Amino acid sequence: MFLMRFTERAYVDYSEEDVRQSFRSAVRLTFPNTHFNPTLGADLYNTYLDEYEYAEEVGFDGLMLNEHHNTPTCMGAAMNLEAAILARTTKRAKIVLLGNPLPIFDNPLRLAEELAEIDMISRGRLVSGFVRGTGIESWATNTNPVYNRERFEEAHDLIIKTWTTPGPWRWEGKHYQFRVVNPFERPLQQPHPPVWIPGIGSPETLIWCARHHYPYIYLETDPQVTLDLTAIYTEAAKQVGYEPGPQNFGYLVRVHVQDTDEKAYEVGKGFLIGNAGVGRVPLPGDFMAPPGYNSREGAKRIVDQYRRYSLRPDPLYGGVDAAGWEKVVESNRVIVGNPDTVVRKLREVLSVVRPGILGVWTNDGTIGHEDTMRCLALMEHDVLPAVREMGKELGLPGPFEQAP
Amino acid sequence: MPEHAEHTIEVGGARIHYLKGGQGKPLVMLHGAEGGLGWRQYHEQLAESFTVYAPTCPGFGQSERPPWLESFTDLARFSLWLLDALDLPQVTLAGHFIGGWLAAEMAVMSPRTFDHLILIDAAGIQPQDGEIADVFLHGQEGTRQLAYFDPQQVAEYAELFQGKPSKEERDIQTRNQETLVRYCWKPYMFSPSLPGLLGRVHLPTLIIWGQDDRIVPLECGSLYQHALPNARLEIIPQCGNCPPLEKPTECVQLIRNFLT
Repeated sequence: MFLMRFTERAYVDYSEEDVRQSFRSAVRLTFPNTHFNPTLGADLYNTYLDEYEYAEEVGFDGLMLNEHHNTPTCMGAAMNLEAAILARTTKRAKIVLLGNPLPIFDNPLRLAEELAEIDMISRGRLVSGFVRGTGIESWATNTNPVYNRERFEEAHDLIIKTWTTPGPWRWEGKHYQFRVVNPFERPLQQPHPPVWIPGIGSPETLIWCARHHYPYIYLETDPQVTLDLTAIYTEAAKQVGYEPGPQNFGYLVRVHVQDTDEKAYEVGKGFLIGNAGVGRVPLPGDFMAPPGYNSREGAKRIVDQYRRYSLRPDPLYGGVDAAGWEKVVESNRVIVGNPDTVVRKLREVLSVVRPGILGVWTNDGTIGHEDTMRCLALMEHDVLPAVREMGKELGLPGPFEQAP
Repeated sequence: MPEHAEHTIEVGGARIHYLKGGQGKPLVMLHGAEGGLGWRQYHEQLAESFTVYAPTCPGFGQSERPPWLESFTDLARFSLWLLDALDLPQVTLAGHFIGGWLAAEMAVMSPRTFDHLILIDAAGIQPQDGEIADVFLHGQEGTRQLAYFDPQQVAEYAELFQGKPSKEERDIQTRNQETLVRYCWKPYMFSPSLPGLLGRVHLPTLIIWGQDDRIVPLECGSLYQHALPNARLEIIPQCGNCPPLEKPTECVQLIRNFLT
């Protein structure tokens, strides 16, 4: 079992009313950046980096970062910079980038260079995840969403070839053309850093991952839906001649630990309160998925799958939050409690989903630094060792224990 | 009342849908960003004087899009093929919004194919002062709110936009939006070289603009007029981006006066 810690690094100083007053009442894309105070931003970036460093100390195997644009819900607009800092200030944990949104980059070679540097500075600890990005990323960078998947796949192919094929050579693709592909600095890990792909279950991406032997990290998907999605991956893997196991799958879930169930229940509410817009003010559907971003078949399949589960009736545009805190907690979609409670609940989830990678989203929104540090401290002795044992007992090897 | 009928024709390996009705000189009317909305009142009025062809651009509605056709420039080239396939060697070309832009690009590519050009609240030229409203960012509903000076004076508004669309209609709307994004995402709704290229288009040209167009500012009508050597600009008061739907009688009368 590979255990990684995650937070979206939210900006917190704005109100729901502020969100409602933005263009189309959106917390992402059009929420005015006049609401951002760089002085607070400076504190928050440093605090979040401190927390990641502490997450390594308490025993996490990985420090997971993500990237979004034009949003206070995630300050990781230039995730690779945070990764580069952690590459230098941490010593053991993998730096798991989930991930770089490939379609929005017009120069994937620059990305290949940045990631190679991070891999070398960290002495081979980079996990280089790639994503299509939400629709917001397409809007924010003016990348035509119709070509999102084509650009994702072509940029991926170009980066992998850049890392694995001696240069110089030439690339003449549909979306990218380069005369002389020959970045001098190559990654330390050979043939290249591991690639993991996070998502909410687009069938095309699952199949593509399976064909590449890339672990797929489910982002807070309903456990039952997750099983259906795993079946898609498994079928595709069998078609190319292998049987995937837990090492091929990850699962991200919000987990917040405090000394008592009561306190965790109260503090955990900050996940919802601070992430205004994630659930309380739904984003316009065409912001998250502009026309052409999803294939019509893929979009229908995702929506149909989720409609069977009432907790998340609008999976693309809302979130678990819309269901209400009590219901979210009851259904283990957010796990809060004292260490014993959290371990028990994680067992319930892991027994069903059976991932070899567990992403622990410890804090966000209005959950403050002090509560976060206490949460991480409690995990050190009372949660992470128990989950590791659970992983062994349930037969859930991670991708560094067994090749995906 | 002139009759009209639906047709399909194969062009460049794609089945293209079009409506045809009326009698007289041929006039091709290219649709706006919402795709072909069927045979409307303005078609009907035009068909009293002209043989009206209302094709659905590839990728919109029931018209297929060849997989290689991905740019607005290629859309213009393809649309010239369509006229060729329809055996229309000399024709009046009219277009609204993106259809106006398309008409302008076609006129640049092949001016001798046309006898007259009619541009109605046409995209295609970058405004110098204002902006072309981002119909993608506003979304379908928001764009419709911007598109009309007063929806209540659009006789066909309820029929077109207020009923609950069938599954088939929803699928077509989705397809139309995807196609629009494919052709028009970036640069958004204009071609940097178009004003320069229009200088060689000596066709008699009528430019019609809704005075209160909140999508393509009236300024763009003036820019078209300056760019085209033989153009005049007619402004329809109390009218938004879509004169053919919002002021069909005035719009058609201007066209009739221009062509007869």
